[in-house]
Amino acid sequence: MGSEAPLPKWASTPCIMGIDEAGRGPVLGPMVYGCLYCARSYQKTLATLNFADSKTLKEEKREELFENLKADDSIGWSVDVIDPRELSAKMLKKNKVNLNEISHDSAIGLINRVLNMGVLLTEILLEYSDQSKGITRLMKENGGLVYLDTVGDADKYRIKLSERFPSIKFVVAKKADSLYPVVSGASIVAKVTRDRALREWVLEETSENMHRSFGSGYPGDPETKAWLAHHKHSIFGFPTLVRFSWGTCTSYYKDMVEVESDKVDEDVGYGSSGKQLKLSNVGFGKASKRKIEEIESSGKGRCKFFHSRKLEQLTHF
Amino acid sequence: MEEEKGTTGSINLSLNGKEEKINLSGQVHHLPCCIKFNGHCTVSQYFKPKLKGMEIDGLAVEEAHFRGRKLQGTTISLPNGYAGFVLAKNNSGKRKACDVSEGNSNDWEMKAQFDKLTYWNHDAPPSKDDPFLRSFHWFTVAEAVSFSIICCLKNFFPPYFEIPLLQLHKQVKAEDLATIDAALA
Repeated sequence: MGSEAPLPKWASTPCIMGIDEAGRGPVLGPMVYGCLYCARSYQKTLATLNFADSKTLKEEKREELFENLKADDSIGWSVDVIDPRELSAKMLKKNKVNLNEISHDSAIGLINRVLNMGVLLTEILLEYSDQSKGITRLMKENGGLVYLDTVGDADKYRIKLSERFPSIKFVVAKKADSLYPVVSGASIVAKVTRDRALREWVLEETSENMHRSFGSGYPGDPETKAWLAHHKHSIFGFPTLVRFSWGTCTSYYKDMVEVESDKVDEDVGYGSSGKQLKLSNVGFGKASKRKIEEIESSGKGRCKFFHSRKLEQLTHF
Repeated sequence: MEEEKGTTGSINLSLNGKEEKINLSGQVHHLPCCIKFNGHCTVSQYFKPKLKGMEIDGLAVEEAHFRGRKLQGTTISLPNGYAGFVLAKNNSGKRKACDVSEGNSNDWEMKAQFDKLTYWNHDAPPSKDDPFLRSFHWFTVAEAVSFSIICCLKNFFPPYFEIPLLQLHKQVKAEDLATIDAALA
């Protein structure tokens, strides 16, 4: 989703772009990355459009600002909606991907998308030649600039982005969404998209007695807590709207049926940040090696034919 | 328990007065985990496999989620001549004293039947190298083994020995199959 083609003329002049996220903290629903871009020359006007950190704005105001920026021909925008199923699946993969990596990848994807549209985000080299003095020099001037709210360490994030996009200049800062209007605008794009996605969410599950009063999705929201309690399922855990990799889910797992993974390597997970949960906490119990042999036929000690096919002789049944 | 001794019991595959057999084809799922629960569950309300529209090794890839994990699987037909059964212990109350002394009845009856099942991998897409699919090679081997044993023993015994011979084939040990292993690997 984003602004429609054709590419406006201003996009071929040096542009600035802001990137921000919405729905990183909630235990349910998608996480949305949004970006907003405009010509550098539009920057001053942008500052007058009352964009502020989306969290400080009321919902109606955000909706209004979003509609305004959509109608503004001098502004382009785009969003990446990351499905909760994808968040859970990546964070619970055998080789776990943590939320910061998912966030970085999403921002990188947006930058690529906007670059591919032909928006001038890169720095441009200007050749200055002064005939009278007989010198020629290259100057980097007034190029594109991309602003991001930091995810993890700001310097590391900036270096990662610069390695990926050597010709783009990045400004990575804490609270970028309240410092730079272009990031504030991106935060509005992201937040409104996330809220709408949740509001219009069609639950995949077809069980009776389900409702859509999710609340904000934040773990502390009483409405969200009530929704989780009402929708927990002893076998399946939760509907797939829920991010199973969130710590909030842990407290519900004790009432659920135990599930043992049959792979020893499942609990060795790496690449996890401090925030990430161990498998034993997220509804898949850690199976001891001995137990695994009980639940999974190993074909151990048998000839290769059986071993490689995990077949074993069953004498008791 | 001594492994070699085994147990005796019975499996009743007849309909036992039930009007129609229950066919679970397409509803049997083999998950890469053990759910410590036995009983009824409204699986289809929560477990929603979707065809991905692609094939690997000729297997149509499906995707589903279970407790946040992404599962990739495929639906396979059981080979011709084989059927899948859901068995339950026969607790019809006619348990004899000798069964009780054994500790547990080992009489089973068929509750449902299936000729297709879906097996799932965590993260990895299905492939013909999956042990689950490869275990089906056993069917070919089993047929070849029983056939050759019956054939060679038939040379020594009259036809009415066929029943004990079939039992003999069940006792074929891994060592006997080591050579077949090399041929099939």
